[in-house]
Amino acid sequence: MPSNWGYVLAAYGIAAGALLTYWRHLARRTRALAARRAAKPRAA
Amino acid sequence: MSACAKEPGRRAVSSYAKRAWIILWKDFLIERRAKEHANALLFFCLLLLFLFQFALGPDRERLAAAVPGLLWLGVILAGLLGLGRSFLGERENDCWEGLRLTPGDKSAIYLGKLAGNCVLMAAVQIILVVLFGVFFGVDLWAPAAPLALVLGLGTIGLAAVGTLFAAMTTQLRARELLFPVLLLPVQVPVLLATVSATQALLLGQPLADVAHWLKLLAGADLVYVTIGVLTFEFVLEG
Amino acid sequence: MTRALGWLTVLGLAAGLAAGFGYAPREAVQGNVQRIMYLHVPAVLTAYLAFLLVLLGSIAYLATRRAGWDRLAGAAGEIGVLFTGLTIVSGSIWGKPTWGTWWTWDARLTSTAVLFMVYVGYLLLRSLIEDPEARARYAAVVGILGAVNIPIVHFSVKWWRALHQPSTILGPERSPIDPAIGLALFVNWVAFTLLFAYFLARRMEIARLEEQT
Repeated sequence: MPSNWGYVLAAYGIAAGALLTYWRHLARRTRALAARRAAKPRAA
Repeated sequence: MSACAKEPGRRAVSSYAKRAWIILWKDFLIERRAKEHANALLFFCLLLLFLFQFALGPDRERLAAAVPGLLWLGVILAGLLGLGRSFLGERENDCWEGLRLTPGDKSAIYLGKLAGNCVLMAAVQIILVVLFGVFFGVDLWAPAAPLALVLGLGTIGLAAVGTLFAAMTTQLRARELLFPVLLLPVQVPVLLATVSATQALLLGQPLADVAHWLKLLAGADLVYVTIGVLTFEFVLEG
Repeated sequence: MTRALGWLTVLGLAAGLAAGFGYAPREAVQGNVQRIMYLHVPAVLTAYLAFLLVLLGSIAYLATRRAGWDRLAGAAGEIGVLFTGLTIVSGSIWGKPTWGTWWTWDARLTSTAVLFMVYVGYLLLRSLIEDPEARARYAAVVGILGAVNIPIVHFSVKWWRALHQPSTILGPERSPIDPAIGLALFVNWVAFTLLFAYFLARRMEIARLEEQT
């Protein structure tokens, strides 16, 4: 049975990539919302 | 002069059933006078026949083998068109408020609409079964009774969710996209069950062999109708 | 608070990787490819947790009309779709060397694919309604139906598969017997649950902030 490490790395790599991308997406949205709130002088 | 039904204000338990019946009868009357749905549907079934024939090629055996799937595919395609329009009449004629202001349990409206849709889908199926039998040379008469049971249970499942989602999407701008996108994934079990059971029946197997599929369909139908009855009032608001 | 959860998650994931690659033994039949299971199974379990929360949030919203429940449902739905996608991709990659093809209509993959489609539809519905009250209401109805449908899908697909393929000898559905494999699986499952909780907290916070601006 060949080692097939390529497949293992592909699976984990794609997973890591997707999760990291989502985490950065969340961080970016949070920052944008915080900036918008700071820019508005009146409270919601 | 609007086409809304005038709901009676009685408080008897039988008024629930009466309200459901009024919705069903109103839709039937509108349909009988306009005849637009019936003609278009018949023609659509005929078109489907040609579509399937051309897509699958002239090989008779291949077509005959595909009949169980094609039959329910035809029902789904017709359902996407027909069910999505369930509440179009109410919306276009400003009757939506009338529905919302109906006294008592709104789920009676759901059941009335559901019954109407089941009749519509049953008509589609009968047409398709006859057309398939004639044009594809498949003997659908021998297993007619068990086949009717399978198709009937599948119809309730399709119409139960379709009626609920139709009420929901009627209000939205993206209704033509959302209705199929929401309906089709939920219908996968019904599709698998009806096609598998139909295939077994067409191969001559007895009804007992497909009992598990029938139970799945019956169970699914119960779940879908129950959720429809419980959540319809939330869909109707606003 | 969320920050602490984030660091705990990093710790958990590190532990999971160590367990999956260092501690767990090389599987006898499949070889090292089997290690994808430590990603695939926790992902699907987390997805199920997510959709359970969608169900709870949906019912609670219709019962109480508190926006917080809708925020829970929406956030859980989004993250659930992410993990379902990961389940499918990892399952497919796992299947290529073991079964020889990228996709087979086996029961688990098919059910997961249907699950994916149901909840992508859920997210599409949410994205296409602007009015927050209507969005919450409609999403709740779809969320409830989608979740309740899961066992129905499971059985229908399972029986459908039984018609076409009696049983697979090799396959990701085989339950692990080796306790070391079981432990590595458990550690990874805990790590994924922490990750889910972290994402959920952050996503719900975003939803809360959006409603205020």
